[in-house]
Amino acid sequence: MEDWRKNKGAFAIFLGPASFWLLLFFVIPLILVWVYSFGERGPQGQTYLALSFENYLRAIEPIHLGIMLKSIWIGAISTAVCLVVGFPVAMGIAFAPSRWKNPLLLIVVLPFFTNLLIRTYAWIAVLRTRGFLNFGLEWVHEKANWLFALAGFPAALGEFVPLELLYNQYAVVIGLVYVHLPFLILPLYATLEKLDRSYLEASLDLGAGQWRTFFSVLVPLVMPGIVSGALLVFILSMGNFLVPDLLGGTDSLMIGNLIAREYGAARDWPFGSALSFMIMYPVFIFFVINAMVARYRTRRRAEV
Amino acid sequence: MSTLPARSMRRRRVRGTNPLEYLKRPWMQLTLLASFVFLYFPIVTLIAFSFNDSRRNITWRGFTWKYYEKAFNNASLHDAFVNSMIVAGTSTLVSTALGAMLGLALYRYRFPWKGTYEGVAHLPIVIPEICMGVAMLVFFNAINMDLSLITITVSHIAFTIPFVAVVIRARMAGFDVSLEEASHDLGASEWQTFWHITFPYMVPGLVAGALMAFVLSLDDFVITFFTAGVGSTTFPIKIYSMLRFSVTPEVNAASTVLIVITLSLTLIAMIMQSRWAKGRQE
Amino acid sequence: MKTMRGRFLPRISRRAFMQGSAAAVGISFAGSAGRSWSAEEKRLNVYNWDTYIGETTLGTFNARTGIVVQYDLYADNEELFAKLKEGNPGYDVIVPSDYMVEDMLALNMLTPLDHSKIPNIRHLDGAFTNPAYDPGMKHSVPYMWGTIGLGYRKSKVDGPLVSWADVFEPERAKRYSGRIAYLGDMRAVLGCALKYLGYGMNTTNASEIAKARDLLIATKPHIKTFAEDNGQDLLLSGEVDITMEWSGDIAAVMEEDDDLTYVVPQEGSNVWVDNLCIPTGAPHPENAHNFINFVHDVDVHMEIANTIYFATPNKDAKDRMPAEYTENPAVFAPQEVLKNCEALLSVGEHTRLYDEAWTAIQAS
Repeated sequence: MEDWRKNKGAFAIFLGPASFWLLLFFVIPLILVWVYSFGERGPQGQTYLALSFENYLRAIEPIHLGIMLKSIWIGAISTAVCLVVGFPVAMGIAFAPSRWKNPLLLIVVLPFFTNLLIRTYAWIAVLRTRGFLNFGLEWVHEKANWLFALAGFPAALGEFVPLELLYNQYAVVIGLVYVHLPFLILPLYATLEKLDRSYLEASLDLGAGQWRTFFSVLVPLVMPGIVSGALLVFILSMGNFLVPDLLGGTDSLMIGNLIAREYGAARDWPFGSALSFMIMYPVFIFFVINAMVARYRTRRRAEV
Repeated sequence: MSTLPARSMRRRRVRGTNPLEYLKRPWMQLTLLASFVFLYFPIVTLIAFSFNDSRRNITWRGFTWKYYEKAFNNASLHDAFVNSMIVAGTSTLVSTALGAMLGLALYRYRFPWKGTYEGVAHLPIVIPEICMGVAMLVFFNAINMDLSLITITVSHIAFTIPFVAVVIRARMAGFDVSLEEASHDLGASEWQTFWHITFPYMVPGLVAGALMAFVLSLDDFVITFFTAGVGSTTFPIKIYSMLRFSVTPEVNAASTVLIVITLSLTLIAMIMQSRWAKGRQE
Repeated sequence: MKTMRGRFLPRISRRAFMQGSAAAVGISFAGSAGRSWSAEEKRLNVYNWDTYIGETTLGTFNARTGIVVQYDLYADNEELFAKLKEGNPGYDVIVPSDYMVEDMLALNMLTPLDHSKIPNIRHLDGAFTNPAYDPGMKHSVPYMWGTIGLGYRKSKVDGPLVSWADVFEPERAKRYSGRIAYLGDMRAVLGCALKYLGYGMNTTNASEIAKARDLLIATKPHIKTFAEDNGQDLLLSGEVDITMEWSGDIAAVMEEDDDLTYVVPQEGSNVWVDNLCIPTGAPHPENAHNFINFVHDVDVHMEIANTIYFATPNKDAKDRMPAEYTENPAVFAPQEVLKNCEALLSVGEHTRLYDEAWTAIQAS
């Protein structure tokens, strides 16, 4: 990393346009809702400006903290599953012949060109009691039963009972993983693609097995991609509200749903803003601490 | 120690494939296949329902082309589609450029208050969509800017920039800075070094970032709704509004058409690329 | 007082009130009559739900008046409110529901209507011409109405359902455990539970709301999901056998499956009315009046009613509609049940009571 003063012109050219855009079209609007988060709700849902911490106090009531913890938990599980499903895909694309890479990437992203709502509806058609997955299972069950009957055990498997796959937390996780896969695959692909294969070859040549090479050479090398992708998936899953709404049962309220309701039906923009900022503050602090640690480390290194 | 290379040589010979050609391994092929089934299973059902002779996507009532006909003749669907494409196309171009520059700058430079800067610059990823939607609406009203496709595009750019930056930064991590230094030493200007060394290295990250920005913009309902003005109904707004009554198979038909068009364009591009490559070889 | 206002009042008293207020309406518009709107451009920006209008309505309107309609979409009342709250982005006609009209009125978000420019309101049923949320229809003209009730699969339910008890009382809901869906709308679900308990749908009494909340928490284990306005799909696909839904949605699936039916439970429920309004700051108020009048033209209205299958407040149009529409229980609920029904009204700052109860139900 170089100091910005070394080349102020290039620094300004790279950082300037995005900073300008984000300042004007994100930070200023953000400050407006930040001010709202200290406000009060009017009788018809107007937003009265005030200096009240009531919204924040309300946000840390046990019931709201519980919802937040649950969202973190669901988000973490979704991220883990996403990693398991997405890693092979990203690796497959990154190690494909170069002229196949971009088309493959497009094929992976293509399902996401259809609308989120339509895709989620399609999952309902797949997972419901009389859905395609259960139809498939029923077919297998029937054939298996038939085979058992041939072998002299009629009705060994009994009647087919369709699985209740929809309207529970599993369905929510499946939906969240599906919706957020590209956010894992794309950064991961971008990191894997540049991987210097001689490291892997060296590891294999030195006698490490495929798995050992994978976990102690490949994974550490692509850690930045894993971290970025996992972070994106985690944050987006945690805040999603459509998937829990459509695929979840009666207990799948997540923080995103609550915030959407505060801005919507409850018309409590101040409380909605306070809840939103309760999510944003930790992330902000994370980045600040992260930068402080990095600076401390470089300074230590310089001293040594 | 000395036996190790020999052992790996043997292993390589036994398997008959390069150990790094993961795509040729059966377990890899199987996992990939499973992942693609997972990705495309719902898509196949939604395509199937576009041929369903019923007003709703529930039970199969026989085959029909009628929803394609309806979708083609539905002017409002058409408008919504075009609006979505304009917004997604424009915002992807701008946010990829700005996001890439941001990602590069964050990767490369050390500057005061960097932690705070990064914290703020990543907030568009974290902020609940509806909070950002409301913020944009309040902001555009405050500065008296009429809501239109422009306000939608501007907001989309703002929230997709950090996503692109994250991808670019992940891509740049571990970039060999000595390449740039060598270029400088050989007398190349800052600009030449960027175009000939750094930029080509960034390309896969740019492709990934652009695809991400495109998907985000194309799919966004909440922020789009709050920043949409008269006559700027996009595809997601149209679909969410259908929710109160019933999402009709026309939408499935339109989605299918989009998938088919994208797939055929990809195929054409691939064929042309391989011909061009062949022509060059000869 | 609150509940009185909310009751679906018998027709006679409405009509009497209407006659009394007609003079006042006339006077209040005398001032604006002199303003010239004739120079208005031939455009109209309508903000409504998708497919919540006849298939040919906009085309016919354009053919008759030469006005080009820009038809934009929102997905629910709250979105409409949020969008207009900070200023009208340029819409001429909007379609808010009852309680929303009340809130918008309180915030001066609606333009008074000039009834002399909407002669077709004479076709309206007297029961709708003096709504509690907007006495004298000064700012709104009813568009369509409906109820919330239970849609269910006859072959899977013991006998016809008549009471909310079957879905709200844990002991009785147990029979249908895992086969019931509620709406995902806090006011609707809590409101129906309040009705079942014998309270008003718009109560601001914290202990009444708490009782409704506790009842719902007790019943929750038997409920499959809170359906996000797609309960009719769950019913049609056999995912659930009983669902709490808006009347028109069930009417639509009843056409596809004879085994489905709809009932408004005897304890009463919500009756809602969507209204045509002109938001403050509308750029084409003249065309907007013209459009509202056009929508209530009997032929035009019949086409709309025929497409969207909700109950019409336009009596003359209804009289000419086929029996399968007018006698469909999922379109027009029977009078004796309707008299127990209430409109949702704004509960102002007490919204928080409902919001917190709803969070508690969902998080329990």
